[in-house]
Amino acid sequence: MIRQDVEILLVEDNPDDVELTLHALRQERLANRIEVARDGEEALDFLFCRGPYAQRSFDQPPRVVLLDLKLPRMDGMEVLREIKKDPRTKAIPVVILTASKEESDMVNGYHLGANGYVQKPVDFDDFRNLVKQLGLYWLVVNQPPPAVAFQAK
Amino acid sequence: MSTDTTERHLADEAARRAGAYNRSLIEASLDPLVTIAPDGKITDVNNATEKVTGRSRQQLMGTDFADYFTDPGKARAGYEQVFREGLVQDYELEIRRRDGHVTPVLYNASVYRDEAGDVIGVFAAARDISERKRAEEKIRKLNEELDERVRRHTAELEATNKDLEAFTYSVSHDLRGPLRHIDGFSKLLFEEYSADLPEEARRHLSRIRDGTRRMGMMVDDLLNLTRVGRKELSMQLTGLSSLLEEALGDLQPETAGREIEWRIGKLPFVECDPGLVKQVFANLLSNALKFTRLRERAVIEVGETTQDGRPVIFVRDNGVGFSMKYVDKLFGIFQRLHRPEDFEGAGIGLATVQRIVRKHGGRVWAEGELNKGATFYFTLEAVQSRPGESNSLPRGAA
Repeated sequence: MIRQDVEILLVEDNPDDVELTLHALRQERLANRIEVARDGEEALDFLFCRGPYAQRSFDQPPRVVLLDLKLPRMDGMEVLREIKKDPRTKAIPVVILTASKEESDMVNGYHLGANGYVQKPVDFDDFRNLVKQLGLYWLVVNQPPPAVAFQAK
Repeated sequence: MSTDTTERHLADEAARRAGAYNRSLIEASLDPLVTIAPDGKITDVNNATEKVTGRSRQQLMGTDFADYFTDPGKARAGYEQVFREGLVQDYELEIRRRDGHVTPVLYNASVYRDEAGDVIGVFAAARDISERKRAEEKIRKLNEELDERVRRHTAELEATNKDLEAFTYSVSHDLRGPLRHIDGFSKLLFEEYSADLPEEARRHLSRIRDGTRRMGMMVDDLLNLTRVGRKELSMQLTGLSSLLEEALGDLQPETAGREIEWRIGKLPFVECDPGLVKQVFANLLSNALKFTRLRERAVIEVGETTQDGRPVIFVRDNGVGFSMKYVDKLFGIFQRLHRPEDFEGAGIGLATVQRIVRKHGGRVWAEGELNKGATFYFTLEAVQSRPGESNSLPRGAA
């Protein structure tokens, strides 16, 4: 059976950013299955297998969540908090991918349990390089959490 | 009439005159005067006492001295002290007038004796200090108002700072976004359709990307400048030599392949925010490298000198320098003394240096000569001498 697991969940509201990120990921042929959530609620629906994603299963979490901070309705920090407080999702690696380099954002992000914090560079070559490294690390180098890590105690 | 009688008569007359004279002196006094018997009863008063108590001499005589004060206990303790010790000075009390009006006074009192030398009473003079009290009150009120005004202004400033912070944040997030998109899509356009584009269109595209990159740098530099402004200094005793080394290490990409003679002198230990002062070195050295680019052999010197007995750090280069005519513009935001095609830069580096140095209570200035070179000097107020030197200027604990 061909695994159709989503490898990367990209939480990003800006269509230009979505397109540039997808372009970079595809160019490097790192990710086959990328899901894009356009706001925080959509991201949580996906991760918690509810609403339009009710048929999904908690057994197939994405390998990494790339999370923008400034999102409509529910912002990135809220999303992060929800993910990290639920035993079914807290082991999912979440990397904050944002324009902000505000110290307070970095502190809050790490305090809430973010697994990484990356600032989007202005230069597209730099950005492409960064997305490549992120993909390489989280999809190839990193050992994903074993299944038991997602079970509620 | 006998001589005796005449003499006695004359003596009586003299005594009567002296008494009248003394009495009129006492009555003329603006200070309330009073005499008190050992049992605390009033034995004499003057006019001023009648006025300040609102009671007549007849009403006052033979009554308790202590009864006419807001704090009778303290008044009693006062005259008891005089009987015990002989005198009191500047003893503060408040006289309450019959109509309730209160007069703050200072009492000076001493005992008086009969011919045998036995104490028979206390003589007490009060000095009305209402004026002084009013003045003190006024000063207190003014101080309070001043405090209030300072509090209000501080609150306003804090609010303004908060606004600035919000503005900085939105610049950071919102302005960089579109820049990223311009850069990204122009790059994609260039990569994927370059073959279909005429030469000139490709050149235009590369201009767009250059512009984007420059603006990106400006936004980042501006953000850094405002971040420096907001940052609380975290001071620690730091060897400037190691900061300089770190800054030099970060500049490796800019020094690679160039012939540079470094003349690095001994630098002191200072109480400073190391992260920020490293930025000072980084910016000054980066400038020195940039403006010596056209020299076959760049000479960059860093060291310590003294001015008016205080340590001064300098960074000197043999680059293109500048005309002293424009020295005032050197540290302004977005001020540049060179054409962008000659030397790149946003004009924020030296403004950042100045902000950091000023935050440390120090001063930064420059000397230059066109085509000869430039020297930048800075002081950090809290500069400490090396251990072992005696003329240290300790500020804060080492």
